[in-house]
Amino acid sequence: MAESILQKQLVLGELLDLPSFTNVCKTFVDLYKIGLKVFDSQGTKLVDMKVASGDFCAYMFTGPNGRRLCTETVTHIKVRPLDPPAGTKDLIAVRNCFSGLRYLMMPIVYEGDMLGRIIFGPFMPDDVGDLGHDLKMLEGEFDLAKARELVDRIRRAPESTVRRVMEHFVRIVDVLVFTSHKAMISSQLHIESVTESYREVQEKNKKLSDALERLQELSRLKSNFLATVSHELRTPLTSVIGYSEMLLAGLAGEMNDEQKDYLKTILEKGESLLRLISSILDLSRIEARGVQLHRKPTDLDEVVQSALESVLPQSFKKNLQLTADLSPSVKHVTVDSDKIRQCVVNLLSNSVKFTPAGGHIFVQSGPADNAPGGSGPFGSSGWFQISVTDNGIGIPPELLDKVFDTFFQADSSASREYGGAGLGLSIVKSYVEAHGGEISVHSEMGKGSKFTLLLPVEPPGTGLELAPLP
Amino acid sequence: MQFNTGQRELTLKFVYYGPGLSGKTTNLRALYQRIQPALRGHLMTLDTADDRTLFFDTLPLIFRAGNLKVKLKMFTVPGQVMHNSTRRIVLQGADAIAFIADSQPNKRQENYKYWLNMVENLKMNGLSIESLPNVVQWNKKDLGDASTDEAIVKMKLEGRQPVYEAVAVRGEGVLETFLGLVSLTFENIDKVYHLSDKLGLDRRGFVEEVRRCLVDPPEDAGGEKGKN
Repeated sequence: MAESILQKQLVLGELLDLPSFTNVCKTFVDLYKIGLKVFDSQGTKLVDMKVASGDFCAYMFTGPNGRRLCTETVTHIKVRPLDPPAGTKDLIAVRNCFSGLRYLMMPIVYEGDMLGRIIFGPFMPDDVGDLGHDLKMLEGEFDLAKARELVDRIRRAPESTVRRVMEHFVRIVDVLVFTSHKAMISSQLHIESVTESYREVQEKNKKLSDALERLQELSRLKSNFLATVSHELRTPLTSVIGYSEMLLAGLAGEMNDEQKDYLKTILEKGESLLRLISSILDLSRIEARGVQLHRKPTDLDEVVQSALESVLPQSFKKNLQLTADLSPSVKHVTVDSDKIRQCVVNLLSNSVKFTPAGGHIFVQSGPADNAPGGSGPFGSSGWFQISVTDNGIGIPPELLDKVFDTFFQADSSASREYGGAGLGLSIVKSYVEAHGGEISVHSEMGKGSKFTLLLPVEPPGTGLELAPLP
Repeated sequence: MQFNTGQRELTLKFVYYGPGLSGKTTNLRALYQRIQPALRGHLMTLDTADDRTLFFDTLPLIFRAGNLKVKLKMFTVPGQVMHNSTRRIVLQGADAIAFIADSQPNKRQENYKYWLNMVENLKMNGLSIESLPNVVQWNKKDLGDASTDEAIVKMKLEGRQPVYEAVAVRGEGVLETFLGLVSLTFENIDKVYHLSDKLGLDRRGFVEEVRRCLVDPPEDAGGEKGKN
C-alpha cells in the first residue's frame, strides 16, 4: 500500500485556503490596525499585511545603517527558532526594531509539529518614547522629525493588548487548521478507502473468474466423460436388445412361454436403459456444445403424428386413450424436425408414465394462444404451439418451476415407481429454448398436467426477404 | 515508529482495534478527558450522524521524556464490517495495538472474528501480531457474565499479552490499558533504538513521563505486565 494521508507531513499552505485566509487576515488587520505576517515552517510567506508602516520602513531603508538593521530584524522575525526559553511556557517571542517599533512572534503548533509562525507588528509599544534609542543615535543618517511624523501613523498600543489579540488570532488559526486537516483527512481517506476496496474487489473478481474458468473446464470434462461413457454403454446394449428380439422372433428356435416372459423383461429393461442412456447422451451433448439445430421446412402434422406413433405401444399397454387435434392453419414450420419430434415424444412419454391406466392424453397443435411479450399485435401469427394434456397424477404447485431441472422428479419416490432419471423435460426445455421458444406447464394435483411448447414459425430474426411464401 | 535522531523526536502510533461498538472511541474519549489539556492535541473524530466511526478517531499526546520529544498518536479503527479497507489503512505503520473486546456473552464470536480480521489486515501491511506490542482490554465488563470471567481468566493464564478489564464509559480501566501498552511498547522501541543506553531512559522512566501527562493516573499502572 502507498503511504497514507495519516503519515503525511502537514504543510500550512495546503491546509489553508490562502485567498480566503488572506481576506480574513485583512479584516483582522483593519480591525486592530496592526501588521500581520504568516510564514509556513519552510519560511514561505503566506500572508503579509502592513498598516501604515510602509512609508516609515521605506524611509529607514534609505540609510545604510538603517538598511542593515532593518534587514537584521526582518531576518530575525522570519527564521529565529521559536522554542520557548527554558523554564517558561510563553510561546510568544518579542523582537524590538532599532526604530523602537516592536514585533511579536508566535508559532503555529499542531499535533506537536511547528507548521509556521505568526508575526504581529510593527507597533509602537507604550513603554517606548517617541522613537527608539538606536534610531536616535543615527540622527546624522535620518531626519528625526520626519521619522517621528511617519512613526506617528503606526499604531501605539500596550504590548499586553497585542499579546491578547495575538493569542486570540492563533486560536482561530488553530481551529482553521484543525477543521481543514479533518476535512482533508476525510476526503483523502475516502479516496484511499475506495481505492483499497476497488483493489480488493478486483482481486476477488480475478479469483472468481479463475474459479469460473476451472469449473467450466471441469464441466466440459464431465460432459465429455458422460458422452463417452454413454456411447460405450449403448453399443453393447444394442446387441443385448437385438439378440433378445431375435430370440423372441424364434430365430434360434422355439421357446416356451416362461422363457419368452423372461426375454420380454430383458428386452423391456434393455430398452428402458437405452432411453436413459440416450437422454444422458443428448444432455451431455447439449452441455458440451450447446444445441446444434438443423432447421428445415417441416410438416408439423407429420412430426406430431410420428411422435404419437412412437408412444402408442406404451399407451396401449396402460390402456390410455391417445387423441390429437392438429390445426390445419399451422402446417409448415421451419424447425429442427428431429428435435421437435423428440420434444413431443418426451412430453408424451412423460404423460404416459404419470397417467394411471385408463387415463387420457390429448395432443394439440396450432397457432399460439398467447404469443410471447414483445412480439407485437400479430405475434400469434409468428408462433405456433404444441400442447400435451393428460389427466395423470399432476405436479405440486411449489415444484412446477423445477420440473425442467436436470435429474429432477417432483417426487423422488416417483423415479422408483415410474422409472426415468428426470432428464426428459430438461432436454425438451433445452431444445425449445434453442429454437427461441418457451415451454410452460399448468398442473393440478390429482387432475393432470398440460405442457405447452411455444415456438416461432420461422427462426427468430428472419428478415422479410426470407419470409415463407403463402 | 518514526525516530528523528536529529531532532530527537519519536513518533509512535497506537491503534485501538476491535469489533463494532466495543468501545474504542469511548476509550479515546475517556483518555482525552484524563490527559493534561496543555499536552493533548485535538480529539478528532470522523463519524457518521448516528455516532458510528466512519474513518477513525485520533488523539495526539505530546510530551518530553528526558531530551526526547515524544508524539504518541492514538487511533481507533471503524468497527463496522464494511469498513475493512479503512481499518487496513489505519493499521499502516502501527507500533502497538490495544484490542478492545466486548465482554457481553453474545459478542464472544465477534471478538474472535475481529481478532482474526486484525491479524489478516496487519499481514497485508507487512506487520505481525507476534512482533507487535499488544494488549487486550475486556471492555463493558459490567455487562459480562460468568462465562466472560472464565474467558478472561483463561486468557490471562495463557499469558500471551497483558489483559485488562474496563468499563470505558465510566473511565474505568482505560488508563491502565493505555499505560500497559506504553510500557510494553517501550521495550520494543528500546530494542531498536537503545534508548536506555543512548539517552539513559528506561521503561519505568518512560512510563513515569507518560503518567505525568495524565490527570490522577492510577497507582503503578503500566508497571507490570497484565497485572489487573
